[in-house]
Amino acid sequence: MKAGLEVHQQLSLSKLFCACPSELSEEVLGTVVRRLRPAGGEDRAIDAAAAFQASRELRYRYEVVPSSCLVELDEEPPHPLNPAALDTALALALLLNARPVDEITVMRKIVVDGSNTSGFQRTALIATDGHLDVDGRRISILSVCLEEDAARKVRESGEEVTYRLDRLGIPLVEIATGPEISTGREARAVAQEIGALLRATRRVRRGIGTIREDLNVSADGGHRIEIKGVQELNKIQEYVDREVARQRLLLEIRDELARRSAPPPDGRPVDLTGLVDDITSGPLAGAGKGSTVVLALALPGFDGLLRSPAGTEERLGRELADQARALGVRGLLHSDELPAHGITEERVREIRARLMLGAGDAFVLVSERSRDRAELVLRRVAQRANAARSGVPGETRDPLAEGRSRYSRPLPGRDRMYPETDIPPIPIGRDRIRSVERSLPERPEARRARLAREHGLDPEVVRQIVYSEDEEPFEELTAHGHAPALVARLLLHELPSVTRPEGSGPFALEPVTLDALLTAVESGRFAKEGIPAVLSALAAGAPDLDTAVERSGLSGFRAEELAALVDRVVRANEELVRRRGKEAFSALMGDVMREVRGRRDGKEVADALRAAIARIADGEAPPTGTGS
Amino acid sequence: MSVRDAVDPWEALRGLPMGQRIELSDGRGGVFVGSVVPRHELSGERILILKLESGYNVGVRIGAEASYRLLEPTPTPERRAEPRSPAEGGPHAAGRWITLLATGGTIASRIDYETGGVRPVREEREILAFYPDLGKSGRVRIVPVFDRLSEDFVPADWATLAEKVVDAFRDGAEGIVIPHGTDTLGFTAAALSFLVRDLPGPVVLVGAQRSPDRPSSDGSSNLAAAAAVARDRRIGEVVVVMHAGLSDTRFAIHRGTWVRKMHSSRRDAFESRNGPVLGEVENGEVHLSGPVRSAAAGPARAELPLDDRAGLLWFYPGLDPHRAEEFVRPLRGVILAGTGLGHVALRHLGWIRAATVRGILVGMTTQCLAGDSDPYVYATGRDLLRAGVLYLGDLLPETAYAKLVWALGRSNDPAEVTRLMREDQVGESPGRHPARGEPA
Repeated sequence: MKAGLEVHQQLSLSKLFCACPSELSEEVLGTVVRRLRPAGGEDRAIDAAAAFQASRELRYRYEVVPSSCLVELDEEPPHPLNPAALDTALALALLLNARPVDEITVMRKIVVDGSNTSGFQRTALIATDGHLDVDGRRISILSVCLEEDAARKVRESGEEVTYRLDRLGIPLVEIATGPEISTGREARAVAQEIGALLRATRRVRRGIGTIREDLNVSADGGHRIEIKGVQELNKIQEYVDREVARQRLLLEIRDELARRSAPPPDGRPVDLTGLVDDITSGPLAGAGKGSTVVLALALPGFDGLLRSPAGTEERLGRELADQARALGVRGLLHSDELPAHGITEERVREIRARLMLGAGDAFVLVSERSRDRAELVLRRVAQRANAARSGVPGETRDPLAEGRSRYSRPLPGRDRMYPETDIPPIPIGRDRIRSVERSLPERPEARRARLAREHGLDPEVVRQIVYSEDEEPFEELTAHGHAPALVARLLLHELPSVTRPEGSGPFALEPVTLDALLTAVESGRFAKEGIPAVLSALAAGAPDLDTAVERSGLSGFRAEELAALVDRVVRANEELVRRRGKEAFSALMGDVMREVRGRRDGKEVADALRAAIARIADGEAPPTGTGS
Repeated sequence: MSVRDAVDPWEALRGLPMGQRIELSDGRGGVFVGSVVPRHELSGERILILKLESGYNVGVRIGAEASYRLLEPTPTPERRAEPRSPAEGGPHAAGRWITLLATGGTIASRIDYETGGVRPVREEREILAFYPDLGKSGRVRIVPVFDRLSEDFVPADWATLAEKVVDAFRDGAEGIVIPHGTDTLGFTAAALSFLVRDLPGPVVLVGAQRSPDRPSSDGSSNLAAAAAVARDRRIGEVVVVMHAGLSDTRFAIHRGTWVRKMHSSRRDAFESRNGPVLGEVENGEVHLSGPVRSAAAGPARAELPLDDRAGLLWFYPGLDPHRAEEFVRPLRGVILAGTGLGHVALRHLGWIRAATVRGILVGMTTQCLAGDSDPYVYATGRDLLRAGVLYLGDLLPETAYAKLVWALGRSNDPAEVTRLMREDQVGESPGRHPARGEPA
């Protein structure tokens, strides 16, 4: 088994081929409607993935935002590639010990799902042949690429898909590792290390969706499968195991078909509309009724190979059904799962007779309102069945929540790429490399050592900072003179603990707000214990820090008020204090803090309480307070 | 085999056939497996472009230390060519046909990977490969006429096209579509308007602002809209059909003499100036709204020859009268694109007077590209009028030039040429410029 990772990270620079800012927007100025059709590359071959996407004949609507320009709408040629983005990619290449190419050719990667207005994604190979040491193991880096991000899908309904242009064109660095990762644990460590390197450049966007990972898996003797957009690193192991099992089964089926000398399916559909009209359940329930047609396809030699063999959940039947679903139909029935769903054994015999099937043969049924569509589905099924004769077809698959993946489209091949002729080749000279080298950022391991040394922080805390998105704000805030321990606690614990309404994503604050918050604490405006309350107020919609402090009830608790409060609590418990002396402190501290509610620093409160206790315990009369 | 001999590896590598698969060591630690593809004309010195197995192209600098090994070609994956319906519509297709006069331009161009630019397609087969849907709504005959970009057109090409239009109608076409480069599409549309008369059906020029090798090309939707207009029997004039906006949903029908390319790259670059659009195409349906000239009983006839001893001169503050005079000397007529209402500096009066006395037509248009030219408002205009300048109202400079090329071909008599230029021929002067207030 072999697995490799592809990490995609957005850069916080202006867009790759125009001067627009890389910012998402909720303001839509208008829309533009387009259609796309596949186009051939240098050798005029139309890529399988492109042809597949185009066969769905969708209409694409693009939402224009205030920062959109004609380049994003494919109404103006691309501007020269953003040099800062290229330098960032080169810096990453050097950090990954990769070799920059001598001359960069920007390519067009055909993508006709509408996510790019042009119908292609511009992408360039920047460097090859690098490596990264993770926990003592060397992982090869196959490539570092620079590409433009796709438009953001907003909604999909029927024949129309809506995208927003704000994300389109954001510079994206893609780092691909070699297929050397063998465990999920290792995959996570590699992803973390790459993430830390990316953030070290200080030019990456942060937050949900700004970093995305793909997983490439191939079993021994199998084929590379791309599982796109895996969100949870914890699940990588499961996806890998399921994929390996699937590929092993497909290889066994290949061998069995060869033993049976099964001929390729001819792909000719047979109309069974009059014959099959009693399906009561399953994906074809109601087939043959009304104006639907029922078509069947013979699969010679496939009998018994469509169902799951003992000991695995994988099955070829589902692969065929996934092809149908990828075309937007509900699914199909195959002979290994019949009789069922109202189809009797007698009916199965009739179908087999109509299709002139022998004992070792199988069939599939589809039902659709449109005959053209049903035929298209069966053509695709026949192609997939035919591919089973040679084992594992290369595919792009979507990860599903239950740990398996599902066919989404053919694996894009080299036919998908052709040169972007609107951008001249970009030479990468020694001078440029040297200048990038000179401003190379600190590597994560060096940074860890430095942070631990400079701030006297626990190595585990430092590790958490460097492997999270908090590193940059940490450095920024400590550089402003805030106490490292306080900053670390704010970033690592207090901010992530703020609860937000379901579905509204994690809570984030601008560095300038964090800075003001820490300044307020340090100047004694309220105590550090009050931070969670202020954060909650901000999360609940307080427009600024002052309002948040106000709403958390933290403002205006003066030193005299604290003295009065302590005095009141001590007096109410005078007997306890006299009996237990200084040991009464811990019993009373909680009561006082409950009322202080973070408005004064904990140490200050403790000192005041100790002093008050001491006065009574030592026999002094408590001072007369002002009361409150 | 390994090739590492005394000769410069660059000399050996540059001679490899395109598509040759090799393993290349750059001698600096880099090893690449890929096939040789054409260099970009702006590629650096000693840069070899390899298409890697991943599909990416990279440029590798070939120093003296480089070496390579020839490899077997990669087995080409199964091609799933989409079935293409023949453009003639097959034996069952009934009814009349439209004729497509192919001329080249972006709409019929493909990428040239060597120069990085686009080049025109040369074969009917290639056009059909780009536009497999072309024949869906009816029969189409394709006649290749030129294979050039529109900036390379000369007036003689307009004459050739005019003859082809007449031929196509004579052969029974119900309408004609002319895919054309967009740069000078406006000129050709205007010229054909004057050169071909008594049209029994529409002549539709159409172009693309995005080459057809891009999935987002506007070529196919423009062409489909143009074909719909070409089948519309209500129309008997030369029109241009292009995107009405940025969406692939609405297409504007422009009169050939009123239209101008007003943007270098947008899909909706073409605008009707001074006059309204004649209509729109939406969902394959033609909706007419403007003053469309109806189809004539025919037969179509070409008013030829034309005479290209005409010029178009854009006035600018530094224009030297002697230069202008030299420019005009070999010509029989010149169109001036003057400032504002149609003015040039008074220092030009001398050569203009001399030219008109010699029978050279000097026509005035406005470089504002909107509104009338008018000699009476300023003294300069009145002086130019007295010097013999013919004011051409709201004719676009390009349309006036095309009209002049036609008119010079009709007569050698300057007075007759002036009369032809003064008269409305094919509705080329919108004349009326409706007012529109601010939205209430």
